[in-house]
Amino acid sequence: MALASVPAVGHELPSLDKELTQRHIDAYSGVRTRSIHTDEAWARRKGFRTTLAQGMMSTAYVSEMMTRLFGAGFVRGGTMSMAFVQPVYAGDRLTVRGVVKELRAESGGTRVVVDVWCENQHGQKTAVGTASGVLS
Amino acid sequence: MMEFRPLTYDALTIGEEFVSDTMLVTPEDVDTYTYAVGDDHPWFSGPSPFGGPIAHPTFAANQALRLRHSRYVVHAGLHAKMQFEFLEPIRVGMRVRSRGRVIDKYERRGKQYMVTEFVTEDDAGRPLVRGQFTQMLIPA
Repeated sequence: MALASVPAVGHELPSLDKELTQRHIDAYSGVRTRSIHTDEAWARRKGFRTTLAQGMMSTAYVSEMMTRLFGAGFVRGGTMSMAFVQPVYAGDRLTVRGVVKELRAESGGTRVVVDVWCENQHGQKTAVGTASGVLS
Repeated sequence: MMEFRPLTYDALTIGEEFVSDTMLVTPEDVDTYTYAVGDDHPWFSGPSPFGGPIAHPTFAANQALRLRHSRYVVHAGLHAKMQFEFLEPIRVGMRVRSRGRVIDKYERRGKQYMVTEFVTEDDAGRPLVRGQFTQMLIPA
């Protein structure tokens, strides 16, 4: 649900839960041989326990959370900066979270800067960063 | 005829530029993307504040991320960091392409990284998404 008003610094945004199946990863990355995302034998050969989701999938999840809250103010004018700190494997479950970090007045509204992160089913953070959208 | 070389740290040059092919944004591609990331926002399949269906904001990110594949054979890599500025929505029916430039490469704790800045634009050259990403190189 979109935010009705500018949230306060420290406000915790509604979280988002995501299950990553191999089928989702295949649809995202395109099935290829010699891919750590879609070729399990290749992923093992490269030292991973199974196939990995692309880090970019986590940016899509953050984008989903931000679009649902900020609407057009994220689609046009939004920003995101993420670091991928732990691998995400096929079969993992991620929770996307956000807490309002900063409010900046700018022409046309207020830019809301949010600390965002994804954590897996073990409570480990897999991606961390910030995202922002504008509320008019 | 394009000649592809294996991607190695030494082969990379700071300042080298990449251009993707042009991609027509079809409803089917937008639908596949929304399935892949499990996001069924109604703007991706129906009316939106932008006058018609749009793609997920990160829809074209893989086009940018795969820019280096236009010149190199990439054995494997890990995505370390990603930055986006969403300037304009990507609309269904647009033709989009991404341009990139290697702006840094560095070694840290025995790992090798490359940093690329990119812009995704429509067929009139209008920027839609801008950003940069850092990728770790995994040796063959």
